[in-house]
Amino acid sequence: MSSATWRNFFTYNKYAQITARAVRQSLKESERVVAEKRGTTALKYQQWENGVGGPQVLLNSEEGKK
Amino acid sequence: MLARRSLARIATQPSPLGAAPKNARNMATLREIELRLKSVKNIEKITKSMKMIASTKLAKAQRAMQSGKQYGLANSEIFQHTPLETPAKRKLFIVVSSDKGLCGGIHSSVSKATRRAIADTEKPVDSDSPIMVIGDKSKVQLSRVLAKNLAMSFNQIGRDIPTFADAAGVADLIVKSDVKYDGISIVYNKFVSAVAYEPEIVEVVGENALKESAGFRAYEMEDDVTKDLAEFSLANAIYAALVEAHACEQSARRNAMDNASKNAKDMIDRLTMQYNRGRQAAITNELVDIITGASAL
Repeated sequence: MSSATWRNFFTYNKYAQITARAVRQSLKESERVVAEKRGTTALKYQQWENGVGGPQVLLNSEEGKK
Repeated sequence: MLARRSLARIATQPSPLGAAPKNARNMATLREIELRLKSVKNIEKITKSMKMIASTKLAKAQRAMQSGKQYGLANSEIFQHTPLETPAKRKLFIVVSSDKGLCGGIHSSVSKATRRAIADTEKPVDSDSPIMVIGDKSKVQLSRVLAKNLAMSFNQIGRDIPTFADAAGVADLIVKSDVKYDGISIVYNKFVSAVAYEPEIVEVVGENALKESAGFRAYEMEDDVTKDLAEFSLANAIYAALVEAHACEQSARRNAMDNASKNAKDMIDRLTMQYNRGRQAAITNELVDIITGASAL
């Protein structure tokens, strides 16, 4: 694949995290449990406008509803 | 005259509430001291256990910091070879702190460093430089002073050792947001030793500056790859700052709880002395009463 089209949809960091998640899920069970801990994030963020904060959004809310 | 006699009569009549016990004032004070002593002892237990927890977390955090620092070092290698031609005017400040308190001056040191950097006259930056805060404590402090500059804030980082997934998520959100900047400054606490920390600012070169730099132009780097590198190095720098700030926070919490336990112990000693002295004074008074009473018979 000489022309990668993923750049139109997400950033390199998101790309790296997706591939990392794929690798972690493919590991042997014992290794996978250890690796999952390294990939957990409960990040929440909120946008600010003019000194007022917006609602706090969970970053993984779409993925978390598996 | 009549008034004086009626006053005297009222004074000798027993009060409707009944006579107060002899050592009423002493005993009430003794009861108060006892209650205070109990509560300070409980507080000392809590701060001591918090100190133990923070010490064990510190050991783990320091190990993570040693390995996490390598990411930051890799970044600085690249940035050393791509020096900025013109200093960045519009900086994005990323302030790294955490959500939990009881850790001494961690959050205020980072907030103060950010305010100093924005008000700096030697290397001036735009006064409306955007600020993004990781951690609720610094967010509250900065929103009181520099609310107009706040662009985004993050929390739920720092409960455990920060992961690269956290840093990548933050970097992803920063790049996706439409905040304009020439360069990035990450403000965090540097781990000087187990008892000392100091705020530090680390520069991250933005994508455009990388493209303009002489080294990249000599190698004819593709734009796509440069963009990837800029995004990844931002995530690296954020990760290195996160782990180091986490280690600083654990050490500061341990020191703060250590001081609190020492102060509580001093208070316990003082209160115990006071209590014992008061108790002995009450006993002596009772003895005096009994003896004078006995001698009167």
